[in-house]
Amino acid sequence: MKRNYISVALLCGILLLNIVFTQFMVHQYFYENYVNTLIFMSLNIILFPIAWLVYKRDRRKA
Amino acid sequence: MTDKNNRIPFDEDNYTHNINRDNERKLDRRGFMKTLVGAAGVFAVSSLPWGAVAAKELLGLGNKEYPHQKIADLNAVAIGDAVEFHFPGEHDSALLIRLGDEKFVAYQNACTHLRCPVFWVKDKNEMICPCHHGKFDVETGAPTAGPPRRPLPEIEVEVKDGAIFAVRVKRYEA
Repeated sequence: MKRNYISVALLCGILLLNIVFTQFMVHQYFYENYVNTLIFMSLNIILFPIAWLVYKRDRRKA
Repeated sequence: MTDKNNRIPFDEDNYTHNINRDNERKLDRRGFMKTLVGAAGVFAVSSLPWGAVAAKELLGLGNKEYPHQKIADLNAVAIGDAVEFHFPGEHDSALLIRLGDEKFVAYQNACTHLRCPVFWVKDKNEMICPCHHGKFDVETGAPTAGPPRRPLPEIEVEVKDGAIFAVRVKRYEA
């Protein structure tokens, strides 16, 4: 069985982005830039379906 | 037949010893990816409340509105004088100070140390709490001396039809 670690790396990157966006979201909230908070929240939410698609693509390939 | 289960390894042909726990906790590549997707889901869900409170702030739902309350007639307050009133509740004592022709400041005057009433000393240009000699800046309500460390809550004031009205209590920013 040939293993593909590209998807794993992609998911790790997505997790890193999640952490970064969450950090920005919280900080922008306390800096009272509420529009930025909303932007980072939507980015965080969009990352979930992306991660799921990466996983699904990987499973289809195998 | 009698020592059927005493042999090592014994035959697993019974239903009481049929659980194979070998490698049960091993995390393979697929399982690791599942975990990562789950983590992304947790991040997505947990960022929802932050968005909710941010939207609440944007829509201004956090600013409480109270009915406007008349404090005094414009002519009745000389420049440099102070008027006591209560806003928004009847037990929230407050202080209006006229600093200039058009300039009014108002604060809820319970000292932020131990809630003694703060009063206005005209000739020293200071707000003083008599209990522990806390002093507040009259322009901003910020503490300048003594035990209090937090500013007095400010009340927004509006001049309308020759009278002074208390409009709302400003959001408290520590």
